[in-house]
Parts: sequence; C-alpha cells; structure tokens
Amino acid sequence: MIEARGLSKRYGDVVAVDDVSFSIGKGEVVGFLGPNGAGKTTTMRMLTGFLPPTEGTAVIAGHDIFEQAIDARRSVGYLPETPPLYPEMTCRSYLTYVAKIKDVPRARRHGAVDQAIERCGLEDVHRRVISTLSKGFRQRVGIAQAILGDPPVLILDEPTVGLDPLQIREIRSLIAGLAAPGKGESQQTVVLSTHILAEVEAICRRVILISDGRKQVDAPITELTSGGRSLEEIFTQATLRDASADLDLEGDG
Amino acid sequence: MRHIPTVAGRELRSLFVSPVAYGVLSLFSILGGVFFILYVAEFSEWVFRLQQMQAAQQLEDLNLSDHLVNGFYGSMSMVLLFLIPGVTMGLFTSEKANGTDELLLTSPLTIWDIVLGKFLAASAFVALLTAIVGMFPAILFLYGDPELGKTLSGLLGVLLVGWTYAAIGCFASSLTRSQVLAFLITFVILLCILLVPAMADLGIAGGAPGIAELLRWLSTGAHFDELSKGLVDTSDLAYFAVIIGVFLCMTKAVVESVRWR
Repeated sequence: MIEARGLSKRYGDVVAVDDVSFSIGKGEVVGFLGPNGAGKTTTMRMLTGFLPPTEGTAVIAGHDIFEQAIDARRSVGYLPETPPLYPEMTCRSYLTYVAKIKDVPRARRHGAVDQAIERCGLEDVHRRVISTLSKGFRQRVGIAQAILGDPPVLILDEPTVGLDPLQIREIRSLIAGLAAPGKGESQQTVVLSTHILAEVEAICRRVILISDGRKQVDAPITELTSGGRSLEEIFTQATLRDASADLDLEGDG
Repeated sequence: MRHIPTVAGRELRSLFVSPVAYGVLSLFSILGGVFFILYVAEFSEWVFRLQQMQAAQQLEDLNLSDHLVNGFYGSMSMVLLFLIPGVTMGLFTSEKANGTDELLLTSPLTIWDIVLGKFLAASAFVALLTAIVGMFPAILFLYGDPELGKTLSGLLGVLLVGWTYAAIGCFASSLTRSQVLAFLITFVILLCILLVPAMADLGIAGGAPGIAELLRWLSTGAHFDELSKGLVDTSDLAYFAVIIGVFLCMTKAVVESVRWR
C-alpha cells in the first residue's frame, strides 16, 4: 500500500531525511518511532504530498506521488501534527467540508460524516463550534477528518498527543479497529508516528525507527523483542549510536 | 476545478461568522451615505448658483451623471482601496495560522481550486459592496433623470476596480503568515498603482514617451474614468482581466512554492 523509495529531504545543507525506503502492506499498522527532530514528520509530509522529496519517490495505493499526485492524495487520510481545524466552523460542517474536498461522492457524504462522528465519539459535540471544544475533542475531530470516507491509507502524526489516559485508550482501540474492521468496513493501512513506546507496543505489529533522518530499525515487534530485550532498550541503543556519530546535525522534526 | 465553489462557500461562510464582514458592510454603507449627501449638496449648490447667474448654457451642460454620479463612484472606489485589503488579508494567512493549509494541500484539490475559490469568495463580497454603491444612484432615478447607460457602466467600473484590488489582496495574503503584513503589502501595491500616472506625468520617463504611456496604461484610474464616462471599451475590460489574471497566477505560484521550499 505504501512504498517509499529512497526518500530524502534536504534544506540547504541540512539533511532532514536521508534515503529512507520501506514497504508497507495492506492492513498493516506500523509505528513510526524516533526522537523529536528525527525526521518523522518530514517523512510523513512527503508521503502525503505536502512536501516534495528532494530525492526519491513514494507510491501510495498504486499511485506515484509525483505522477498521479491527485490520486495518491485521494487515497490518504492524514492527521498532521496539529489538527487542521477551522475554529469558527461547527464540527459537523467542518467534516462535511472535508468530505467534499476529499471527493467523497455526494450520495455517501452524509453517511461518511455520520460514521466518522460515531467512530471518534463526537456524537455529543458535533453541533458545537470547534473553537469551544477541548483539546481532546479537537484531536478527535482531527482524527475524524483523517478517517473520513475510508481512505485505504491513514497517516497519523502523533494521534494521541494532548489526550488524557482514557481518551488515549479509546483512540488506540479505534486505530486497532481500523486495521481489523468489522463487517462492511474496509481494511485500512495505518502509519502512526509517536515517541511513546507503550503506544507502539499496544497497537502496532511492526516498527520503523528513524533517527537523524535515517532508518535504523524496520522489523516486527515480536522479532525485536524475541531476544528478551525491551523496545526501550532498542530505541535507546539505536538513537544513541546515532547521536554520538554526528552531534552537530539537527533535523527538522 | 469543480471544487472552486466548495472552497469559496466555506470562505464566505467564515467571513460572515466573523464581525469583520458586517463591520466592513456597515462602514461602507455609512460612508456611501455621507459621500452621497455631500455630492448631492454640491450639485444643488451649483444649480442654485448657475440659476442666479442666469447662465442658461452652463445649466444645460450640468447633468447628474457627469457632475454627481461619477464623482461619487470615484470616492467610493477610493474607499474600496482601504476596505478591500481588510477583507482579503485573511484569505491565505488564516489557513497558515490554523494549519489548514496542510489539509488543503494534502487533499485532492488542485492549487487552482484553492486560489480561484478564495478569489471567487472575495469577488462575491466585492459584488455585494458594489450593490451598496449602486443603491445611491438608484435614488436619483426617483427624482431626476441620470443616464442609465453611464450609471451602469460606472458601476461596472467600481466592480472591476474592486475585483482587481481583491486579486492583489489575494496575492499579498499568500505571501505571508501575518494578517497585518498582508494588509500592508496590499495597501502598498494599491498605492503604487494609484501613483503610477503621477510618476508618468512628473516626467520620470521624460525622454521615453513609450514608458510614460505604459505607466499610464498600468494605473486603474484611467480605465475606471473611461468606464464612468460610459465608454465600455474592450481595451479597458482587457486591462482589468490582465491585471486580475497576472495577480492570480502569481498567487498560484506562491502557494505552489510552499511545496517546493
């Protein structure tokens, strides 16, 4: 579903992402790990078409991000680091607008908005103006706009940041449900970035660890932890090795 | 391109939930009323004086279209110079502030959908402002007989000037993240366009008449004057189309360049 081929992003002399390749199959839930400033957000922005890679390309659901940009973007639901919300709109009118610009067909639009509201637990607030919502609810509206219309690929940049423990649990079970859908729902491929290791262990089966713009680890969690090591050890080892190698390089998160 | 109305609709709705739109419309109506009364008073004064002087020929030449409506249109288009930057300053800056530019640019919209949608919304608002301007000469038809053709072509001039300002405002808004800066950039560009003919007349291009001609052609004023005289000429209409087109293309380039930075 997602095929990254040698993605690199440079800003002048600063290398934010350096030759990252990976391939993610349908229905996989992959955790994108890395310290702050490792290049997670930049990689995600390249996959979603917000930033063009300096080198390399990616294929999303069979569409090249350069050659079939519109089709590739249509296949992705994306939650950026800060949820992209219009504070003056109501939750429902915002989601309806997103459904329109994401080409959800008119006949399915109303149902898709209802479904997103229900799945993200927004039933009680969907008529409220977004600026009056709490941070947790705003984050959920952000997730709702990403899953709207069941795009085959979901890219979520720190989906649980700013939520309380209870909400975090709800969101995690929501994400787990996306890859293992019930009847009539389509199976989705999910990439989520986080620096919370417990989150990865709770919902992902595979981990891609990025540090200083380079891919350090790409393996199923069971394989990584089979030797009795914890994710934390692996994380520390991979990031430390890198930090000592070139301390002067600072990627843009 | 089919998403242009979607983008425009959202933009207009946002404009009308904020107090800015209502503030601008009220202010514009009040200023319209004040200017209109001033022009009517001046016109009656002229009629009175000419009658006292028994200047029959001058009285004959005095007419509502040339000596009242045109002046009024000119003043109102000056007011637009101050108000339109306020309307357009948020078009792109607020997307950047909300982080919604990331939503728009990762959705299946084309850049033209976004740029033209926003310009369409601003244009609709300008059309509303023009309708307010049109209300006042309409009153004259109740009491006198201004020329309908001139009144309408002058109003078309106000509309086209407004749309030009809106395209320039759109461009300025795409350049920066700050609304204040967007306002100032728009205002400076508009002032330059206003002052261009003066520069031409001051003889900056003294030796080269071609440049003076070009500078004069660039200013909105001359084309607006032609329209308020009742002369709807293709070259004047083309002028507005060219300026609007150039600024919208530049806006598109700026929005697109965000991707390539």
